[in-house]
Amino acid sequence: MSDEIVQIETPFQFNEENKQEFDELIGRYPIKEAAMLPTLHLAQKQAGYISPAVMKYVAELLELSVMKVKDVVTFYPMFFEEPVGKYVIRVCHTLPCALRDCKVVLEHLKAKLGTDIASETNLAKGTTDDGKFTLMKVECLASCDVAPVIMVNDDLHKNLTPEKLDEILANL
Amino acid sequence: MAFIKLNDLEIEVEDGTNVVEAARQHGIEVPHYCYHPGLSRPANCRMCLIDLYLRSSEMPEQQLATGCTTTVRSAPPERKLDGKYDVIVRTDSPRVIKAREDILEFLLVHHPLDCPVCDQAGECDLQDFSYRHGHDKSRYVEVKNVPPKKDLGPDVLLYSTRCIVCTRCIRFCEEVSGSGELGLINRGSHDEIDIPRSHEGTPIQLLDNKLAGNVVDICPVGALVSKDFLFKSRPWFMKKQNSICSGCSVGCNITVEFKEDGLYRIKPRFHEDINQHWMCDDGRLGYHFVNSDDRLQLPLKRVDGELSTTQWSDVLSLITEKISEVETEEDIVVIGSAQGTNEDNYVLQQFAHDVLKTTQLGLFGQQPGEEHKFPQFTIEADKNPNTTGARTILGSANGNVVLEGDALWDMVSGSKVVYLVSGVPERSLTDAEKDALENVDFLIVQDILHSEVAELADVVLPGTTFAEKDGTFTNSTGWVQRIRKTINPPGEAQPDWEITQQLAKQLGGEIDYHFAGEIAIAISDNVQGYGDATHQNIGDSGVKLD
Amino acid sequence: MVQERRILYEHLDVPEINTFDVYRQHDGYTGFEKAVADYEPDDIAKMVKDSGLKGRGGAGFSTGLKWSYVPRDIEPRYLCCNADESEPGTFSNRYVLEKNPHLLIEGILICCYAMGIETTYVYIRGEFTLGKKMLDAAIKEAYEQGYLGENVRDTGLNINIYTHPGAGAYICGEETGLIESLEGKRGQPRNKPPFPAVEGVFMKPTVVQNVETLCNLPFIIGNGVEWYTKMGPIYADMRNDPPTPDPNTGTKLYCISGDVNEPGVYELDLGLTCTELIEVAGGLRGEEVKAVIPGGSSAPILTHYELDTRLDFTSLRLAKSMLGSGGIIVMNETRNIVDCLLNIMKFYAHESCGQCTPCRWGTPWVRDIVQRIADGNGRQTIITRPKFGVTESGRWGDTGETEEVYEDLELLENVANNIANVDTMTWNTICVFGIAVSWPAVSYLRKFMPEFEAAIREGKLVTLPVAEATVPPEENYAFQQRIIPKEMSDL
Repeated sequence: MSDEIVQIETPFQFNEENKQEFDELIGRYPIKEAAMLPTLHLAQKQAGYISPAVMKYVAELLELSVMKVKDVVTFYPMFFEEPVGKYVIRVCHTLPCALRDCKVVLEHLKAKLGTDIASETNLAKGTTDDGKFTLMKVECLASCDVAPVIMVNDDLHKNLTPEKLDEILANL
Repeated sequence: MAFIKLNDLEIEVEDGTNVVEAARQHGIEVPHYCYHPGLSRPANCRMCLIDLYLRSSEMPEQQLATGCTTTVRSAPPERKLDGKYDVIVRTDSPRVIKAREDILEFLLVHHPLDCPVCDQAGECDLQDFSYRHGHDKSRYVEVKNVPPKKDLGPDVLLYSTRCIVCTRCIRFCEEVSGSGELGLINRGSHDEIDIPRSHEGTPIQLLDNKLAGNVVDICPVGALVSKDFLFKSRPWFMKKQNSICSGCSVGCNITVEFKEDGLYRIKPRFHEDINQHWMCDDGRLGYHFVNSDDRLQLPLKRVDGELSTTQWSDVLSLITEKISEVETEEDIVVIGSAQGTNEDNYVLQQFAHDVLKTTQLGLFGQQPGEEHKFPQFTIEADKNPNTTGARTILGSANGNVVLEGDALWDMVSGSKVVYLVSGVPERSLTDAEKDALENVDFLIVQDILHSEVAELADVVLPGTTFAEKDGTFTNSTGWVQRIRKTINPPGEAQPDWEITQQLAKQLGGEIDYHFAGEIAIAISDNVQGYGDATHQNIGDSGVKLD
Repeated sequence: MVQERRILYEHLDVPEINTFDVYRQHDGYTGFEKAVADYEPDDIAKMVKDSGLKGRGGAGFSTGLKWSYVPRDIEPRYLCCNADESEPGTFSNRYVLEKNPHLLIEGILICCYAMGIETTYVYIRGEFTLGKKMLDAAIKEAYEQGYLGENVRDTGLNINIYTHPGAGAYICGEETGLIESLEGKRGQPRNKPPFPAVEGVFMKPTVVQNVETLCNLPFIIGNGVEWYTKMGPIYADMRNDPPTPDPNTGTKLYCISGDVNEPGVYELDLGLTCTELIEVAGGLRGEEVKAVIPGGSSAPILTHYELDTRLDFTSLRLAKSMLGSGGIIVMNETRNIVDCLLNIMKFYAHESCGQCTPCRWGTPWVRDIVQRIADGNGRQTIITRPKFGVTESGRWGDTGETEEVYEDLELLENVANNIANVDTMTWNTICVFGIAVSWPAVSYLRKFMPEFEAAIREGKLVTLPVAEATVPPEENYAFQQRIIPKEMSDL
């Protein structure tokens, strides 16, 4: 039995603005647990990823066990458990995008960024050395009419071609 | 009551019974994994599928139903099938049989089939149901998932490859222990049971609560294993005996698993009013003192200040001599044990009352510990299994005064002869207790280990643990329950009441019991409240005091 | 050519229709006002039932009927709006959220009024950041204008709407998965019964409704039932004697993607055919239609022989497929069906929630088999099995003959059917995700058998010409069992 337990050296807590948003959020639901997803989104926005410190903080806020939080974090692919690049590039690769050559998009991005594609349990694999980009695949983004599409952080980019991608990357 | 047709049987069951239980009551197996009678029912394993007829006795519902979540109730007359059945259930229709085969095939696709090295083999639901309900060969030729083996806490290991994600363990930690250390990580076929960890795998919290061992019991496969039992024995090599845990005054019903050379494992046994399906780890892992090398095997007597082994006949004569020397009965104190059975204590008080003619009695036991409350379980602070019984029985004869605590030690201090029955594993003494016992002319201690109290004695008699004798304990809520002999006592150790009886005989007393059950009859005749508490009546389910 | 009939999307492209003022200028909130002014809540529920509106989320269940199951004596009741649009090939809700969010709010108001609901959660998929932003802004405006909050427009109604972001799980589009996720847990669907109408979010009666369904309400109330039922066919449900009306009324936001010249959302009356829709969407990009997925990736595929199937709930069900969420994906002659199935199976294997055994371990198994075949590693072993086809009685069934088939293809079909059986429509899973896996797997395989066989035989993906790749109609189980529904007016 390894006696090693994660020691939280710098505890996480919401900044003033997010604390206010959280206080507003929690009032929306009859049970605290229901605020889990919005709270995690908020925490990830502030911390960049869901570290053990964040999990502990969220668990305390929502009066749950840490495992409950971990359980949810690992279920939903939008929550990261390790640091990601400044820009997270999500490439849709489901059928309608595949019919519109999303492979070209993916290969172009791989070559251009010089990185592999992240897997859900290994985001570092898809993150550029300078920490600027994380490249990952994502399932259908519900924009099949303008396929192929990618999301760069919160922004959707449509009808992509290698030229368009170059332009998008150049502007980041 | 609901009147149902189950396959071709017509049976009556209580309203609200689920189909798995209803079938079990009538000897029909509905295989299941995620369902456990003590936990909530997610119906996620899909193993207990059944054909359900709700609207017609000819046509079952289109979808198979899960037996665990299907409860039967009496229906209004207009909704009865064939004019009499509240519901019709088939557990043996071709499509039910096929569904089971299919589910078992899915359950085994990632399973490592490592039965030869798996602790669970022999008592594994996956093994058993596969044998009885599954295919004989696998069609799976793809790559198997190989999730890692994990250390979850002080006593529990997880072999993730064997896990079928039934989530019993998770639900236990949420519903019964309320500690919530376990959960799922990842999604889909990558689902794994785990404790919370950092991304790198370092634990944030361990599975470390006093009920944790139960998750091993309820794991239907060999995924969760106890480090204490790991690789110690094949289940089929062990014998089993029903007994009662001696760890505290709850009186959890247990099954003791043992071989000739000692105890191997203790598991909880269902009792609706006492421990349901569970027990705590203090009790579960607390049996090691029984197997200890430090057990007393022969009587001891103090020679030149040191305790050394001797013969039974020798100590009995010595004790007889010392007791005979005492002039007034007030100088003799007899102390019973809250670890001893009702039978031990009954013979002891009879000895005190009838032979020694003393009314000065006391009760000794383990020092109080902590109480632990869980949502569905309580570990009591009284760490003795029989405080209630011993107290009543020692005081049952006319004039007996049973002292405890400071009052007892005041009485002990300065006495000529004290006969103290202990049998308490790992009992440390306070300074006051030590002082009192040192201030006794002749101290007889009856114990199981080379304990602190034995160290002070002039004579030590080797007694027995709960595993080596028959008898009854009365728990804190008044349930009288049976412990049973599993293994022989070490060396020349003897059941405590037998030792007392021999002493009585030496001193001319007329106590003459042949087995514990005979004493229980005497108790039921003479002790108020114990009228029904004969061994025969108590059986495996206990008798509640009037 | 069939013409678009824009109702829900009428004002979609009006500049700033997302703002309260512009929405109001285009008759916004008049449906709600009419509802409150002219009708009692029960009248609204009756109108919705009479309109024949079917849920647009996928199952096509009658909205009015669903509402009738909600016990009115248990408080509080909730509305959950399902904006977790994640069925591949579906993208109409996104436009409503991003461009015309007040329409959704108005629909929610009407539903809340009819059902006596005070709290609505709009579960928006996490990736819809813009949609959530626009809806949040519109909700804020609606509060400011007194259309939300306490005592809405002096009606005495208290109605609150909260948006709730998902986090990338397809299964949260299943109504009970959505509820679990909303409660802050894994999105693992619940066992039914109890249905959400009785025991939903926070164990209270809950109406779960898709965005598009709710957006229909202002128009049903505003223009009346008679106006609404003129759109789309009303079929005769022949299972009942005498046949009962089976309405497929209203317009549908058809999302068409893949190999067409002008992919997009087209709002059309329910009941046009596949061929007609492709024409509306600018025609096929390519030479020939090879296949069409008619209702999002989980719907059984249609071959070019089946393009005359009408795209409505009843016709597609009777053609052994489904309209689902109305996501139509067109594939031309260059597409390899094995490859398409692999893509879809990867999707489902990734999105299985992992709760119940058949789906957790069956779905990746199906994916792995397809992957192996696509990689050229399909086993050459051939087995013999009973041959199904048109029997002497004219029905589809066991012909008494046998046929030889590659072991891996039999395995693929069998494993998929063991998750959920497409022939008997029975499943051993908790939710309908199971059938969403086996429908594509079994239908692609059975309808495009030659292409699967070629992949195994050649040890690599081989794209056959359409005629060769497709099983002919007389061997197509769905085509042979297909029933063309009769319209009520034809009886």
